[in-house]
Amino acid sequence: MADPKPEQSLVQVKGLKKYFPITQGIILQRKVADVKAVDGLDFEIRRGETLGLVGESGCGKSTTGRAILQLYRPTAGDVFFKGKDLCKLQGEELRKMRRHMQMIFQDPYASLNPRMTVGDIIGEPLEVHNISKGKEKKERVQELLQIVGLNPYFVNRYPHEFSGGQRQRIGVARSLAVNPDFIVCDEPISALDVSIQAQIINLLEELQQKFHLTYLFIAHDLSVVRHISDRIAVMYLGKIVELTDRNALYKTPLHPYTKALLSAVPIPDPVVEEKRERIILVGDVPSPVRPPSGCHFHTRCPIVMDICKKDDPAFRDVGADHWVACHAV
Amino acid sequence: MAQSDLFATRRQSAQAYILRRILTNPPAALGAIVIGLMFVTALFAPFIAPYAYDQQNLDQIEKPPSAAHWFGTDALGRDMFSRIVWGARSAVFVILMVTLVNLALGIPLGALAGYLEGWADTIIMRVADILFAFPGLLFVFFVASTIKPGVMHWARSSGLSELANTGYLDYAVVILALGVIGWAGLARLIRAQVLTIKQREFVLGARAIGVPTSRIIARHILPNAVTPIIVAMSMGLGDIALSEGYLSFLGIGLQPPAPSWGNIIAENAGRYWRQFPQMIWLVFIPGLVLAAIVFAFNFFGDGLNEALNPEISD
Repeated sequence: MADPKPEQSLVQVKGLKKYFPITQGIILQRKVADVKAVDGLDFEIRRGETLGLVGESGCGKSTTGRAILQLYRPTAGDVFFKGKDLCKLQGEELRKMRRHMQMIFQDPYASLNPRMTVGDIIGEPLEVHNISKGKEKKERVQELLQIVGLNPYFVNRYPHEFSGGQRQRIGVARSLAVNPDFIVCDEPISALDVSIQAQIINLLEELQQKFHLTYLFIAHDLSVVRHISDRIAVMYLGKIVELTDRNALYKTPLHPYTKALLSAVPIPDPVVEEKRERIILVGDVPSPVRPPSGCHFHTRCPIVMDICKKDDPAFRDVGADHWVACHAV
Repeated sequence: MAQSDLFATRRQSAQAYILRRILTNPPAALGAIVIGLMFVTALFAPFIAPYAYDQQNLDQIEKPPSAAHWFGTDALGRDMFSRIVWGARSAVFVILMVTLVNLALGIPLGALAGYLEGWADTIIMRVADILFAFPGLLFVFFVASTIKPGVMHWARSSGLSELANTGYLDYAVVILALGVIGWAGLARLIRAQVLTIKQREFVLGARAIGVPTSRIIARHILPNAVTPIIVAMSMGLGDIALSEGYLSFLGIGLQPPAPSWGNIIAENAGRYWRQFPQMIWLVFIPGLVLAAIVFAFNFFGDGLNEALNPEISD
């Protein structure tokens, strides 16, 4: 990637790889293969922006988010955040950095401890980072509940007493508690009802404005990503194939995969919708255990060339901050 | 404060719900009553028992149940009812102490094995496997025949004859032996729980927040693992009572005249068989009491399991 401007760039990801080993044997485990979930990513997340990360299930989006936050230790690569390489931090040092980076999870039913009250859940980050205790903590928790649009008197209730949307608000309040700079939103709305999705999206946007947050927004819903993101990265089989400003991406997609993906979005106008040309990709996504040689997309690409089977295309800037990895561009 | 009131009522209602589910389940309610009775008896043994457990009345030998001696008297003229009442105290003491030892060993070891996996897991679980495979009785024989005489010798030579002569050591042998063997099952259960729970997203969430590992285990994983632990424990309590009974029956547990249901049966068994069935009360009553306790704990455990896991019966 071209040298990132330090005053702009909050997170820099360099050569990030995450392989999950497949082992065999019960007593003597030996590695037989790797699931190459994330296979070499280079990008930056700029201060104050929302970077959307899209791609179909299993392409490595969530793994990317978790590897950036070191919830999965990356196999290779570096993640620079606040002047530190997170991949090289260990134990207590890393734990302290977590104050500045948080996560909002996909499933609000699974991501809250069912045995803790809402007050304990939201207050926990304050406690473990020694930010506040006792009465001060309680006040902060109530303030946070108000910020995310919940009744502050809910502190003594348990997660199962709330609806999905309310629980997601609790999750958002928990991640805001420590005043982070950077939040990874891992499909924060895909488990919610459509009517609630808009509420949470609006809440996230509002909070971004208010607290100058930077988001990595992982999703597979293209219209949601278009709405919330400043820039969008498209992932396919462990690699980013295209990354650019959201308008540029939707207007002039360059990568054949992006084109196919965008052509699948229905248009809410029956006249236009009828004329919409769909690019149907043939075949299935190859296994990330044995990704295709060369360009990972060549097995399904409508404009595949000989070179695509041999060489992995470089991820490069083709002008106007439009990054793409394709031999045909 | 309105809020703390809300909190209080909430907690109360969860407990009231569990209590109601147990009390409306006849076997579980019966179990709870029997267990409660045993604990009350143990606590107030000196007030309930009409005679001392070792008081002999040589005019009243092997008498059948009567108004003066509800459960009759044994070959030494001791009141069987009093001995059984005092036996409850021995049983409760052993049950509580063994459980304490089991929990103190089983919870941390099981949680560590499940959370850390790798080498720690292999070592802890292989030790547990050995304990499972090793005959428990043999271990108790070993403790009773090697360690106990050693300690007694040491106690006598260092002037602590109190310790050597009283029944404390017998209790220590039973508690140590059952405690050291019993943790393995609990540790396995907790390990399995921890392995599943740590995969759940709220644990990842806790890590993302920056919660230290020790706190993740204590606040996030273990509280979600308690239900099966409580159930297994309440069923295990009956087993401990039974184990104490058979150890004392075999003469390696509590020694007469200390009252234990096991040694009461053992003391009277010979006479019972020789004069069958005239003196049936001598073995039948303590045996019945012991069996009732074991059943009570199992019924109660079943009921508790259903109460804590609403999806089982509904």
